Amino acid sequence: MQLLDIRNLTVEMKTPHGIVRVLDKVNLQLGKGEIHSLVGESGSGKSLLAKAIVGFANPNWEVTADRLWWNGQDLLAMNTKQRRAVTGRDMAMIFQDPYSYLDPNSTIEQQIVEAIPEGDVRGTFMRRRVDRKTRVKRLLHRVGIRDHESVIDSYPFELSQGVAQKVSIAIAIAHRPRLLIADEPTTAMEPSTKLQIHRLLARLAASQEMSVLLISQDLTSILPETKQLTLLYCGQLMETGPAEEVINHPAHPYTDSMLRMSLQTQQELPHKARLPTLPGAIPTLRHMPIGCRLGPRCPYAQKQCVKAPLATQKQQRVFHCHFPLLELES
Amino acid sequence: MSHLLEVKNLGKTYRPRKAWPWSQKSVAIEPISFHIDAGETLAVMGETGSGKSTLAKIIAGVDNPSSGELWLNGQKLHNQHYQQRCNNIRMIFQDSENSLNTHLTLRKQLEEPLKFNTDLTAQERNEKVDIALRRVGMLTEHGEFYPHMLSSGQKQRVCIARAIILEPQIVVADEALVGLDPSVRAQIINLMLDLQQDMGISYILVTHSPQIVKHIADKILILYRGKMIVFDKTDIVLSDDQQPYVHQLLHDHLNKQIKFKSDKAKKIAD
Repeated sequence: MQLLDIRNLTVEMKTPHGIVRVLDKVNLQLGKGEIHSLVGESGSGKSLLAKAIVGFANPNWEVTADRLWWNGQDLLAMNTKQRRAVTGRDMAMIFQDPYSYLDPNSTIEQQIVEAIPEGDVRGTFMRRRVDRKTRVKRLLHRVGIRDHESVIDSYPFELSQGVAQKVSIAIAIAHRPRLLIADEPTTAMEPSTKLQIHRLLARLAASQEMSVLLISQDLTSILPETKQLTLLYCGQLMETGPAEEVINHPAHPYTDSMLRMSLQTQQELPHKARLPTLPGAIPTLRHMPIGCRLGPRCPYAQKQCVKAPLATQKQQRVFHCHFPLLELES
Repeated sequence: MSHLLEVKNLGKTYRPRKAWPWSQKSVAIEPISFHIDAGETLAVMGETGSGKSTLAKIIAGVDNPSSGELWLNGQKLHNQHYQQRCNNIRMIFQDSENSLNTHLTLRKQLEEPLKFNTDLTAQERNEKVDIALRRVGMLTEHGEFYPHMLSSGQKQRVCIARAIILEPQIVVADEALVGLDPSVRAQIINLMLDLQQDMGISYILVTHSPQIVKHIADKILILYRGKMIVFDKTDIVLSDDQQPYVHQLLHDHLNKQIKFKSDKAKKIAD
């Protein structure tokens, strides 16, 4: 059974200019210990999807779904208290800029201790104290900080970006969650630091039976261990399927152009040659095109595209396009 | 004088907060020398804290060097002479969201460097702004817009327009391509390459993306803790893998390429 099962999740936002559908019927399935990458440009609603999963409440949003199941339980049917209990026990989230959400006023040890569940430490007062300290050290070792002595008593500003992100991962995994949502954890990081964080996430997923939902901006900066890949554009699901297949044989024009735009795949491009890009810019919330929202920028768009395409399924892959690049055997 | 910009023994040290005679100065950049020619792109690479942003700031005139000189076309650049610096060297910053003034229309923002550095009349300034906006692929009507009405890619375009409006010879870009969406980043790279071709601008590009360096840089300068360890042509640096640090910074990431074979896909029209 899937750990997380989302069917037709729709999020509508109330704005002064009327209701805007920021997520339009998104499906997502996540198995145990799986790494799932969610890729989309800014404004694609990928962070919003993560917020909908953890139940980040905002009175302006309306979240509806045919199914939002976590481990067989319907999250939407729960009341706030129950939902918080489930989210707090099973899920954790890390964000883009570690400095901005680590507490600048307390040391790393205090912050990690706070995240260790009370039930984990037992015994007398002194025993609990020692126990907590060893747990903090163990957590830091687990996220790849060998030199725990210098980190444990420092404040966030004294740490480098990579170490700070590792500390935030340590805080996130302190209560042994079953799902870790990483919202662009490596954007604007140096390549070598990026690699370290990626390796760490992959290792944690493999050793702890923890699923990872990795949210990323760039299709080429996803983890090599990614099993499933989902592409969003302006709140619409473009393509989803096994990562290797999607990258090697993209079905949707958006996936294809995302790959072509990246310098990583264009190794044989001559020096200083112009890169292929999608024309135009990402539409704003107020001016979403009707039908397929990629329409105005899509090189293959035709008249039909003013109607939103239905899902096409081919084995494990699903894509929404009238003119897929993949030949369909009828 | 064959080189466009010559940097001679440029160094930067910071005085410690408590300046006792025995306290040591912290060295941001040890004296380095290099040069760029017209129409070339120099990529400055290094880890965080290696002094690459400091170097960019000194070249753009934001910061003063502790030692050394800058020569442009055989003419010495003076530290506090901002008009001379602005007319020749301009800078683009990392965060386009925060580097534009939210209270001014784009036309007023683009006019400001002209007001401070040239003797043009209002009419001529307006024409210049129009030309600059069109050159970066925007409409002249965008001049009446405020920054919040634009997307992040358009903001980055305005930043580039502001940098090129004085027709400088060198543009310093400090991490200007980080944090942009992939489609926008590709558009901005194309724009920068087009401008280089049309106007013969030299770029000094501070970046840590090996792919971008490989694609658009003519020369690479690698800093390690304030020391210059490599300064050479891109293909020479890329083909030589003797130095472990260069290897770690460049080769490891370039070799990790993604398999991508979409034979059935048609080519995307421009």
